[in-house]
Amino acid sequence: MANLIQKGLPLTSARTPLLQLMRHRGKINIQRPKEPHYERARVVAVTQPKYPEPPKALTCFQSRAQRTAAQLENPYNAIIAREVRNWLDHSRLVAIFHLNSITADEIFRVRVQLHKQNMHLKSYGRKIIAQAVTGTQYEAIMPLFHSNHCIVFSPDQQRVGALLRLTRKVPQMVLLGGIVENTLLSRNELINFAQLPGLQSAQAQLVQTLNMAAGTVVQQLQAHQCNLVKVLDVHAKGGSDAAPTTDVKETNT
Amino acid sequence: MSVPFSGTLRRSGGIVSAIGKQLKSVNLKGVKRITVQFDPFAENVKSTREFLFLLSTPKVSLSNPKCVVKSDIVCDRSPAFIKFALIDSAQEKAQAKEIRFNSDNLNTLELLELCNKHVSTLAPPEEITNKVLTKAEKQKLGGSGGAGGKKAPKKK
Repeated sequence: MANLIQKGLPLTSARTPLLQLMRHRGKINIQRPKEPHYERARVVAVTQPKYPEPPKALTCFQSRAQRTAAQLENPYNAIIAREVRNWLDHSRLVAIFHLNSITADEIFRVRVQLHKQNMHLKSYGRKIIAQAVTGTQYEAIMPLFHSNHCIVFSPDQQRVGALLRLTRKVPQMVLLGGIVENTLLSRNELINFAQLPGLQSAQAQLVQTLNMAAGTVVQQLQAHQCNLVKVLDVHAKGGSDAAPTTDVKETNT
Repeated sequence: MSVPFSGTLRRSGGIVSAIGKQLKSVNLKGVKRITVQFDPFAENVKSTREFLFLLSTPKVSLSNPKCVVKSDIVCDRSPAFIKFALIDSAQEKAQAKEIRFNSDNLNTLELLELCNKHVSTLAPPEEITNKVLTKAEKQKLGGSGGAGGKKAPKKK
């Protein structure tokens, strides 16, 4: 029945093409390739790629490592530098410490204590800080970062006392200097700043000093009258030895 | 015609391994107190700061737990120095009360080399405390004295 159908319709007959099996048992030869035919070899030779060599004068004295290694500046450094710049601009107190050998446990403890006082302990590499700071107003802090260091940022400058108190307990952190309200301070100046009275008391003292000028004039004008009143009070309470002084006062006034 | 060999068989590991090698032989037993003074904004303070860091590492500070390292920060551009205050026996040895390094023009490796040359040599020699005898050693010592007496009960 099938044969009858196939004889009638030749297009429906599907013959498989001639197959020649090249790979048998999976191991192919690539280590000893056959020499190509001359025509093929000619085409291969012509189509080999030619790369331009750098001019010898430039690379003559460079070592192979220098010639082959092309160091690109990592753009992540720029991002971190921008972060550092941000921290420097938005914190009113920046303190820089020299860090001696310290365990991670201890520095974590310090970081937590500082965080509770709204102070942030950070550390960056010298190259990144250089990138962030050169050419800006903060360039003067660059010499502090030659060795192992850490930085404490705080958005309010009233915390210097707390900072000094906490870091006094940590012998490995050595205060080098700081920036308070865009002013570079050395270590001693920072310690003095911590001992200054607060802003309100300083303002009260200023007001008192200003009023003192007028106050002294008033006081001197009223001095004699006040003295007389005091003496009369004492006399009125029944003091017998106040009598000779009263005579002196009366002759003066 | 062959030229006889000249040069090194092994390459040096660089400055870092030289520093590490010097650090291993630092001994602060002869020192009572170390004072490191520097101005952080001055030039050439890097080596002083690095030396201070290396002195604070646990290996060096464990060589003498009683030795105190104090750091003074000044702001008058004075040159940096490191003072080692010696203990009494070391003072007799060195004929000096303290040793002072002016570290402005020295780098870290040189500081460590000088420290090993002058300070580590003043460490008092270690006294051997009572050695704990093992059973075998005790037997050897006691067995040669009373061999029969000791062995008889054991042979039971």
